[in-house]
Amino acid sequence: MGVALVQPVQSVVRQPEESARPGGSVLEDEAGLARRALDGDRAAWNVLISRYHHRVVVSLLARGVRVDRAQELAQETWARLVQQQQKGLLTELRLPNLAITQAAFLAADEARRARRESLAGPVEELPEAHQPVDPSVSAERRLLSEEQLSRAQAALRECSTSAQHVFQLACDGQELPHAEVAARVGLSVQRVRQILCEVRKKLRGVLEEEAS
Amino acid sequence: MNQPHIHPADAEQYVLGAMEPGAAAALEAHTVACSPCALILQREALLEEQLREVAQAPVQQAQVIRPARWNRPRVSASAAVGVMMAAAAAVTLLVLRPEQAVQPRTQDEDFPVMALPLELPEMPERLVACPDLTSQEVCASEALARGLLVQYPQGVGEVPRYEGHSGIPTDALSASGPYSL
Repeated sequence: MGVALVQPVQSVVRQPEESARPGGSVLEDEAGLARRALDGDRAAWNVLISRYHHRVVVSLLARGVRVDRAQELAQETWARLVQQQQKGLLTELRLPNLAITQAAFLAADEARRARRESLAGPVEELPEAHQPVDPSVSAERRLLSEEQLSRAQAALRECSTSAQHVFQLACDGQELPHAEVAARVGLSVQRVRQILCEVRKKLRGVLEEEAS
Repeated sequence: MNQPHIHPADAEQYVLGAMEPGAAAALEAHTVACSPCALILQREALLEEQLREVAQAPVQQAQVIRPARWNRPRVSASAAVGVMMAAAAAVTLLVLRPEQAVQPRTQDEDFPVMALPLELPEMPERLVACPDLTSQEVCASEALARGLLVQYPQGVGEVPRYEGHSGIPTDALSASGPYSL
């Protein structure tokens, strides 16, 4: 539908390390980019889409959406946001949260529609046969309990100070690309990713232990 | 579908955005056709979301309700402990190195030293407890009249008072009829 409003996402998506500028901070130009996008600047939209598209896709994958459909829904998300901006309905642009919320709405709406249409059909045609988990169910399961949170935080405190710093920079919502994180902590991108994998492994153990 | 199944490490690299575009496209194409691999990818994505939740959650502080008297200043207690420790150190010095006890006094000679009591006060042999708050006063006075030692919580003769309130006015709690909040 509104996909034609933006360029095909694959053509503007870049790898995260390409997003870091050597001279400036990501956060510094974030507000400027959002302002320009709200003014209808196409180039600003492309930069923002390239920066956050993968994040939106991952959020959809976490909800149980198949990867090809996640790509389509993410692209439709951007198209809708651009459409809303062109209609003057966007007063502020907080990314990636706005895009993630929009994508979650689209996924839930699609799941509801698919379920409604398939209720009369045979069991093997139910959407569960094509998707690992029903998005509406996994959305509720995504929330961590307080107990899980505190245990994960305790496990995080057991990591080295530099590892905690890297993890916070990469995951605390600033959406810094790995290259920017590496520049801030004075490490290589490879080392930053290695640290992130180590922290993930540690916290995965805690969270999966809780889940089981 | 002839592609090999993905490993959790591959899915992790994909989720982190660290995979080459070609490899990422191949992984996506494989997970579309392979449900077990799609599940692996979904788990990694779910973990990524949970980790972001962990990173963005405020550090939780332990919520512990403590007796009100724990919050009182303990200056007198700490001073007494300091004096006791100094006295113990002095006694230890005298016992272990008696030759140093006769050495000329230094400028620290006026350091306050409390003599340790050689005889402890005679303790009653029988202790009683008065846990019932309604009859505690009568119980304690009767026990003392009989020469018994009344054992209070923590031995200070007070019942722990816990800080906390429901936010409801006391008038509302004691009102006989409906009370406007």
